[in-house]
Amino acid sequence: MSTSEEITREIRAQARELLESGQVSCIIGYEVGSRGRARPAFVHDADDVERLIWGPDCVHNLTVYLHDFKKPRKRGEEPPHVAVVVKPCDSRAVNVLLAEQQIERERVFIIGVACEGVQDETGEPAARCTRCDDRVPVVYDVLLGEPPQVSPVEDGFADLARIEEMSPAERLAFWLHQFDRCIRCYACRQVCPGCYCTTCMFERDDGLWVDIGIEVPQKYMFHLGRALHLAGRCAECNECERVCPMGLPLSLLNRRLAREVETLFGYRAGREVALSPLLFELGEEGSPI
Amino acid sequence: MKFTTLDELRAWLNHLAQEHDLIAPRDVDGHVLYRPVASSGEILFDYERPELSTKDYFLPATEVLLRTERRGGDVTLEEVLPDRKQVLFGIRPCDAQGLTVLDALFLQQEPPDVYYRHHRERTTLVGLACPQMWEGCFCTSMGGAPDDPTHLDVLLTAVDGGYAVQVVTEKGAALLEGLALEEREGEPPPQSLPPQSWGGPRGGAPKPVPVTPPEKWRALFEDGLWQRHGERCLSCRICTYVCPTCRCFDVTDRVVEVRPGLTRIERIRAWDACTSTNYRRIAGGHNPRPTKPERLRNRFYCKFCYYPEDFGPLGCVGCGRCIVSCPVNIDIREVLRDVAERSGE
Repeated sequence: MSTSEEITREIRAQARELLESGQVSCIIGYEVGSRGRARPAFVHDADDVERLIWGPDCVHNLTVYLHDFKKPRKRGEEPPHVAVVVKPCDSRAVNVLLAEQQIERERVFIIGVACEGVQDETGEPAARCTRCDDRVPVVYDVLLGEPPQVSPVEDGFADLARIEEMSPAERLAFWLHQFDRCIRCYACRQVCPGCYCTTCMFERDDGLWVDIGIEVPQKYMFHLGRALHLAGRCAECNECERVCPMGLPLSLLNRRLAREVETLFGYRAGREVALSPLLFELGEEGSPI
Repeated sequence: MKFTTLDELRAWLNHLAQEHDLIAPRDVDGHVLYRPVASSGEILFDYERPELSTKDYFLPATEVLLRTERRGGDVTLEEVLPDRKQVLFGIRPCDAQGLTVLDALFLQQEPPDVYYRHHRERTTLVGLACPQMWEGCFCTSMGGAPDDPTHLDVLLTAVDGGYAVQVVTEKGAALLEGLALEEREGEPPPQSLPPQSWGGPRGGAPKPVPVTPPEKWRALFEDGLWQRHGERCLSCRICTYVCPTCRCFDVTDRVVEVRPGLTRIERIRAWDACTSTNYRRIAGGHNPRPTKPERLRNRFYCKFCYYPEDFGPLGCVGCGRCIVSCPVNIDIREVLRDVAERSGE
């Protein structure tokens, strides 16, 4: 097992090498923020690598920022090469984006970090970590840190029982009560690596499904629609739930569908390198893909 | 000073709730929010800064502006303004100051916004002084204070055994008629709490945040600081929706019912946010603010350059909500310090 200081040193050394050699033009990592906790950092210059840190407060899934590097900086140029620091949960989103041809593998240098689990603002293990026993990213170019020992998680979906024990009417009431708090700030969508539509169907000027109102029916449509659009694609990084200012238990929706997909197709998004998204595959009924 | 006990206050609030829409801080699934309450039993009296501002009760997140109905050849229009009076109890001084900021646009321009004016006129603001400043709070740098009565109708301050009651306006005095008040020995609580009582979670008085005058902002439009702060922005709307002074809205007509011989439509307005990707997109699809740094820059220019130039007050009261709720730690204090440094303030 490696300490945060050791991994911080290794990240800085790796970043320096990548920037000085010109292999990438930017490192997406973490720095110390104004509130004393880690925040996303973009390092463009080898002289700035000392800003980069690693620690148990590095909660953010930085792969969402890869979408900002898909286009060339200037017309006629190639898109930039970029490096990104990933935890095991984040790395699953890389596989999803690769399968969906959103990023090119050779343009993204993946700095994987062996993960002990991260902590929320109160210093408790983050919710995602209580149901995750991955200690090594599923995809990386370099792996930093020694993978720590970990006891396997028996059932990462155990908490779903909470809503499944409800009758349909109770479940509807539960969700309507939750959605009532939503302010439709779209933070859940914006932080999600899998939500990258240029214009979200819930935000179209000519939208037939929902209007601009910030009321329960629109919020209900948005959250259920978003969950369905992420079926077989959600990497279960739980960022949507972390960023929600109103504390909506959004991962109950996404992971309920993730379990459904696993039961039906034996597939968990991002766990393996896939050639295409699950829902693009055609197979015999009942056969695993 | 005028004084009342918690029991008297509760009785008065219970009475008020019968004739008014009473809005007060409430625990909603672990979140402190200003919400309608039926009686004083639902009200929190000891609470921090509520997580959302009070602007929802003046510029609702969704508001029906009018309803139309067409039956055959007849078209009717329906007014939708509510007629019950509203009391906002427990509003923090920063939120009241935020309303003064909104007034500069919605009331003091011609023509005034009739919907906003309607809500504002039918509302009485009963504030509760903050016992301290919390994480992110910087009202004292924005012309406010934890016990600033200026923008309120009544200010309550917790004192030994009850509350000191400060009547600020005639509207406040009229509302207080049913509340048992006694005169007590002693000075009213200080107008400005001494610095040692400002300790946040980490203790100590917050560092002052510099505000650069509007005219000095122009030269920084192309400064690299916007790229630096904007890069990690997610383009969500949290900062604008939790803000007591962000006031952008969008308007749309929605069909409520269509059947042969009858069409009912309502026109609504709903909050919008300049941080969102498509906010500035215009007919034909062009977006003059296509990148995150450009959009973030606009939010800060609006607050500290455009709004004060066009309407008077700064578009920020230092409530600190955007600071504690931003998922990627974009910190308005840090931006203001950078701007001050770059402009040589």
